[in-house]
Amino acid sequence: MAIGKSVPMLDSVARVTGTVPYASNLKLPDMLVGKVFRSSVPHARTIKLDVSAAEQLPGVVAIVTAADFAGDDTPNLHFGSTIQDQPVVAGDRIRFIGEPVALIAAESVVIADQAMDLIELEYEEIPAIFDAEEALLPGAPVLHEAFPDNLLGHSKLRRGDIEAGFAAADEIFEEVFSSPVAQQASLETQVAAARWKDGKLTVWTGSQSPYTVRRVLSAIFDLDVEDVRVIVPPLGGGFGGKGNIRTQPMAAALAWKVGDRPVKLVMTRAEEFLTVTKHAAKIIVKSGVKLDGTFTARKVTIYWNAGAYASSSAHLVPAGMLRALGPYRIPAGHVDSYGIYTNLPIAAAYRGAMSSQGVFAHESHMDTIAHRLGIDPLELRIKNLLRTDDIFATGERLHDIHFVECLEAAADGLGWHEPLQRENGTVKKRGRGVAVMMKNTIANSSSECRIKLDAEGRVTLYTSTVETGQGGHTAMAQIAAEALGVPIEALTVIGPDTAETPPDAQTASSRSTHMMGNAVLNGAASLRQHLAEAAAPILEWSPEDLSVADGYVFVTTQPQERIPYAEVLGRKNIAALTATGKYWTNEGKLDPETGQGISTPDWHQGAGACEVEVDTQTGKVTVLRYHSASFAGRVVNPTLAGLQNDGNVIFGLGASLLEEVAIDGGQITNPNLSDYMLPSFLDIPVELKNVSLEAEGSTFQGIGEMTLPPVAPAIANAIYDAVGARIRDLPLTAEKVLRVIHEQGEADDEQ
Amino acid sequence: MNYELLQPDSLSGAMEALAQHGDEAKVLAGGTAVVLMLQQKLIAPTVLVSIGRVPDLDHIRTEPDGLHIGPLTILRDMERSSVIQRRFPLLAQACGEVGNVRIRNQATLGGNLAEADYASDPPTALLALGAQVTATSVRGARTIPLEDFLVGFYTTDLEPDELITDIFIPASTPGSRMTYLKYKSRSSEDRPCTGVAAIAAFGAKTCTDLRVAVGAACEVPQRLPAVESLARGQALTDELIGEIAAGYADSIETLEDIRGSARYRTQMIRVHVYRALEELRNGHR
Ligand SMILES: Cc1cc2nc3c(=O)[nH]c(=O)nc-3n(C[C@H](O)[C@H](O)[C@H](O)COP(=O)(O)OP(=O)(O)OC[C@H]3O[C@@H](n4cnc5c(N)ncnc54)[C@H](O)[C@@H]3O)c2cc1C
Repeated sequence: MAIGKSVPMLDSVARVTGTVPYASNLKLPDMLVGKVFRSSVPHARTIKLDVSAAEQLPGVVAIVTAADFAGDDTPNLHFGSTIQDQPVVAGDRIRFIGEPVALIAAESVVIADQAMDLIELEYEEIPAIFDAEEALLPGAPVLHEAFPDNLLGHSKLRRGDIEAGFAAADEIFEEVFSSPVAQQASLETQVAAARWKDGKLTVWTGSQSPYTVRRVLSAIFDLDVEDVRVIVPPLGGGFGGKGNIRTQPMAAALAWKVGDRPVKLVMTRAEEFLTVTKHAAKIIVKSGVKLDGTFTARKVTIYWNAGAYASSSAHLVPAGMLRALGPYRIPAGHVDSYGIYTNLPIAAAYRGAMSSQGVFAHESHMDTIAHRLGIDPLELRIKNLLRTDDIFATGERLHDIHFVECLEAAADGLGWHEPLQRENGTVKKRGRGVAVMMKNTIANSSSECRIKLDAEGRVTLYTSTVETGQGGHTAMAQIAAEALGVPIEALTVIGPDTAETPPDAQTASSRSTHMMGNAVLNGAASLRQHLAEAAAPILEWSPEDLSVADGYVFVTTQPQERIPYAEVLGRKNIAALTATGKYWTNEGKLDPETGQGISTPDWHQGAGACEVEVDTQTGKVTVLRYHSASFAGRVVNPTLAGLQNDGNVIFGLGASLLEEVAIDGGQITNPNLSDYMLPSFLDIPVELKNVSLEAEGSTFQGIGEMTLPPVAPAIANAIYDAVGARIRDLPLTAEKVLRVIHEQGEADDEQ
Repeated sequence: MNYELLQPDSLSGAMEALAQHGDEAKVLAGGTAVVLMLQQKLIAPTVLVSIGRVPDLDHIRTEPDGLHIGPLTILRDMERSSVIQRRFPLLAQACGEVGNVRIRNQATLGGNLAEADYASDPPTALLALGAQVTATSVRGARTIPLEDFLVGFYTTDLEPDELITDIFIPASTPGSRMTYLKYKSRSSEDRPCTGVAAIAAFGAKTCTDLRVAVGAACEVPQRLPAVESLARGQALTDELIGEIAAGYADSIETLEDIRGSARYRTQMIRVHVYRALEELRNGHR
């Protein structure tokens, strides 16, 4: 049995010894260096772009500007996976500081840098807008003429009579929460190398979405999708930032202009902050509650700051809507989720995408309600959490629901019901907090794979699941090994390479183990069928009478009559048997006016509970203990699952306590990892534990994000528990905590 | 990044290179700051003068008058030096708190001082210790008290042709207690939001001498002799400690950055001067 075993990650030795062939390290013969010349103003009309001096510089091979896209036989300037609003390089309009304006291919970085200094850009600045809510006001500067109110998307959820719900409430609570722009901060920055040959394009890139990259590139260059090949080596982290399409069009355009030599584009750390960010969000939550803690209504309004181009926001804004109410029984629920253009870098998925912001809001809000009503925060949640067969706000009936188990597992692990020593005679005080999350996954997507068994008994799995460092390939190998009855050592995993590995939507939204995992099961089942058919004449039984397991095809009723896989192929003179597997979901067609329908095949579920210590003189928060739980359905690899749960918590400490992209007039002022602060290993809670919950008869569920969104509200709630300070804007910095402690003190003094 | 790298193997060679190239040259020690500045295009020297091959710049030498430390001494060696741990424990503490072990294994003391980044730890400790810096050039050597060496925001008294060749710490009163408190408002590996270095000598019942330096919250680390003198001949009562802490908080003009506002830093100076003095009074090292 390979499933359920903690086999080491297939590439663990390579990762530790530094021999993973990351795209960043790729060297192709004759390869040129790509560099991006960027705008230094947030909003402008370009008057003149002069690259002639740069072009003359020896060692500069090509410079791409919007002019290269102006003719009839040229590539298309604009692209986008959903809304085609983004130019490969800015044309007559600049929409954020750091927007690519010209691309340079040169023999060396030094030459490319010199060329940058020779480019002259003349522009006329126009008023810019950075705040999402303000961008909706009449008279605000408009980014895209096709979207005169700067609204790229508005998703609506309408369930029940909201006004009657509020009227029936004993108490109404309304709070405003905000989350800042953040950055995914993968260790490996964005990278794309491109090469053209005979009118065909090959791209090597660190991407979570190889097939999206292929589709969008083929649209830009008017190619058949088969003429674009996308190869994705293992990533040094993705966290959502490498989803969708990022630097690939620029690399492809450079190589197109160059013609016969490959060009590689690697983002510097500073450019990484200009390439993709996490959505800043302002969230208003209003709830009507009975004194016994029963909900009557909840209304949530979210303003997502999408930055200058729609990119993945087009499909993330609806997802954010679904995740906003929280996993509670609320008879009347309304959500308005607004995706808004501003003159900031593009925002996109960030691990726990569009959940973290909303979960921080509704879970902090739950504690506000609990404290006011005098109900234990855990109890208030358990009383209201959704259960299997409940009807969600979309009108869909819920299945496989385990919110209560997740929350209880986390809370029990922490010892929620045991007494807490809050003070020890020093200036430090302790408190505890819990939080729970729900998240839909991509509702209509498919995953395919191909499995090959050769005459030596070796199995090759061709999959477009991206190895981001999460252990995705290891999980797939385990599933294939078990389903085929071969040892894991017999497995080789190949991909993604769109020329070799079948389509997969993307490695995102924690979908791979579930979607690709089931595709692998499906493919393995057909490979077993092929084996039975091939063995039937040898064993002289019909295929229906044969079983395939543990390396043998055998007669079901007489298991001693058996023949090893390799021998089947050998005796039939077959070099290899190949089967394909597919798994897909086809939900998500929600009514645009009401959000009613089936929103997701499965709900992602997770919870967290923590104990913090607050220094009441500095406001500094130390997370001492953290327990998390996610619903995994069926665990493929306990160690790797545990690392996802714990990794989420560590990752979440950053967004909770430290991370904020500082922006001044549209300019990012901390685009480096010294000023933009990530947690260090010393910040990890001394006690960090997790549980991956399983359920009888359940399949693999995604766990890549579930324990992340609860981190911020669990800590915020624990801070409140410790010192009575409620912070509603992330991150929960020491200075903010101290300020609220002081305000609290002043308010107490006045009473 | 178009520069020439020089690697002189003698002090005179290094000094001549600097004399020759003047403003166009940049000294390279551990490179933890220089390389970042080059990458971010904050500097564009035409010549980098690496001093890594110059002999005897990484000494830690005890002499009758005090301790001499070579500028190339890495912070990790400072942290682990038994002499420093025994005689100037706050300096070992301050160096041991810098960034993370990877940085400390590369960063040099001379580089840290010459960089004059306000968000640093060792300078604050060295100021409390009354350290002096020797700067040497083809024109000769001069010794500069640290308070005169650190001029302002990323600015020192060094001339472009001068090298730090020694850092001297005078012997302190035997039996002095000393501590360095680094306050990190963000991650455990962050630079300081505030740093407080305090050294006190005690008589039978009273404090005979007090030196307190505050750094990272202001452009350059500062001592306030007038406030320090409040302690002389006095018992360090809670009240007196509070008065000294308030004196520092009220007098130092704080700056604002991503680690905290000016107002927050004033509060943090007060909290940490208080904590440092409390620790000294209570007899911990
Ligand atoms: C991630 C990170 C975290 C950090 N955290 C901290 C922290 O918590 N606390 C802290 O105090 N510091 C911190 N630092 C700063 C670090 O201590 C300094 O960068 C380091 O000490 C500089 O020494 P270096 O040998 O690397 O200098 P270099 O980078 O080689 O040089 C720095 C400067 O000093 C000049 N210079 C070097 N040696 C001499 C000399 N002998 N004579 C004249 N000029 C010279 C150089 O020309 C340059 O201007 C951190 C740095 C990093 C990168």
